[in-house]
Amino acid sequence: MLPEAGGSGAFAFRAFNPLVSFVASWVLMLDYIVTMSISAFTAASYLGYYVPALKDWPINSLGGILIVVFLVFINIRGVQTSSRLNIALVFIDVVTQVSIAVLGVIFIIYLPQLIHNVHWGVAPTTHQLLFGISISMVAYTGIETVSNLGSEARRPEKDIPRAVIMVFFVVLSLWALLSMTALSAYPVYQNAQGQWVTDLTQRFLNDPILGIVNAMPLYIRPALSFFVVFLAVTILIIATNAGMLGASRLAYFMGQRGQLPGIISQVSRRARVPANAIIMFSIIAGVLISTGKITLLADLYAFGAVLAYTAAHASIIALRVKEPGLRRPFKIPLNIRIRGRQIPITSVIGGLATFTTWFIVVYTHAIGRVVGFAWLALGLLIYLFYRNYRKKPSDEWEIKPEKR
Amino acid sequence: MFKQILVPVAGSSVDAETVRLACRLARKDKGKVWAVSVVTIKRALPLDAEIESEIKKAEEVLDKVESVAEEEGYEVETDVLQAREVGPAIVDEAVERGVSLILMGISYKQRFGQFNLGSVVPYVLKNSPCPVILYQQSTATK
Repeated sequence: MLPEAGGSGAFAFRAFNPLVSFVASWVLMLDYIVTMSISAFTAASYLGYYVPALKDWPINSLGGILIVVFLVFINIRGVQTSSRLNIALVFIDVVTQVSIAVLGVIFIIYLPQLIHNVHWGVAPTTHQLLFGISISMVAYTGIETVSNLGSEARRPEKDIPRAVIMVFFVVLSLWALLSMTALSAYPVYQNAQGQWVTDLTQRFLNDPILGIVNAMPLYIRPALSFFVVFLAVTILIIATNAGMLGASRLAYFMGQRGQLPGIISQVSRRARVPANAIIMFSIIAGVLISTGKITLLADLYAFGAVLAYTAAHASIIALRVKEPGLRRPFKIPLNIRIRGRQIPITSVIGGLATFTTWFIVVYTHAIGRVVGFAWLALGLLIYLFYRNYRKKPSDEWEIKPEKR
Repeated sequence: MFKQILVPVAGSSVDAETVRLACRLARKDKGKVWAVSVVTIKRALPLDAEIESEIKKAEEVLDKVESVAEEEGYEVETDVLQAREVGPAIVDEAVERGVSLILMGISYKQRFGQFNLGSVVPYVLKNSPCPVILYQQSTATK
């Protein structure tokens, strides 16, 4: 057990070296920034239900940027958020999603229609299927956040595995039902260009849950839409804030390990938070929001998430080899013994699967590939420059020639 | 009666009187007094983040507490705690140390023209595992 905040980066730091840790942390930073961007942009798009102008670009991007600016202000001014309020909102959100899924089962899901919609190799094509799998990596943030906050759990050995298992079952069961509902409500058809599409992605790409509600019977639709939009906006603003806090914590972690210059990671004396990091990464989030392209954001997300996930799996295996005696209150089951070391099969499979998925992301997501690698290159430049700078003797220790 | 007393301090004017009272209460049973100062860490930082300026402030508060106890001829153990919220940190500390009393000093405060206890005191009163005594400074000595 490593009681540190830093997620995959902290694991990689212990298991490998500062460079691998930096790469894992830097791609994770990209994910936190994209989380902010996706959540703020989508929140603004959902608000389009109340203010129709917000449905279209660039007004929805502007709305998203304003949400980010508002949260930067709140975090730097230091308004305390209540844990109870957050828990209550998440609880109401899960109950609402379960209700929509149940209503979907009652009113919409129609198995023959679902089966009829899927034609392997045509709709979806193999490329589309791989693309979809890589996008589903968005769910990774939840698990990463559990890991990131693990050091604050009262009983980490019980609470963390329980939280991860709960996330897995809730997300899998809920979204399997919601996807089935969506595909039953919006059948696949061939558009004028000959592509197989559904109206959910054509009309409701930025607010998909509203699309599902829109397919419900007319007598529950208005009230349900109003409630769902209100809740979605609230939850998405909380998610934007979670991304901002995650980026801030990670910047501090990286600064403490000499992976980021102090000017970015230092804690502001007045605000008592890494204010520069919050502002800098929020500006990048704002730039991403301004594109108004949710597919680009999802591409970038997948690029970072799978790489960080691969680093986490590799770190678990490396730590089993390097530090077999490390205290492990929770041990992953299904291990094989190689040269006296217990290697977890799940991590080997998971690591290979996520690394393969990363190749898929790089291969299938053209813009994500370019921007993702550019982000990685920028990070490595900063890292190498900063490491080199730190190696130089400080001015205080330099003996300057006497003035004549 | 009160062998282990926990005194949360925050650097306000009521601290000295509260610590004096704690020392006098503990002296009867040769009890122990712990004074704690809580540094709150925002969620934008890991819980173990070291904010030097805040830690220094907390240590200065505890130094004053120690000198007050010295004046009373009693010894006080001090500790700086880091937490997200003050109330839960005090209750957790009380549980962990198994104290028999929490003695809190409060100042007279108003919010919207009404007397207000804030959020920490009600939380401790509601969740404390042991008796709690609130000591309010005389409004005349403020």
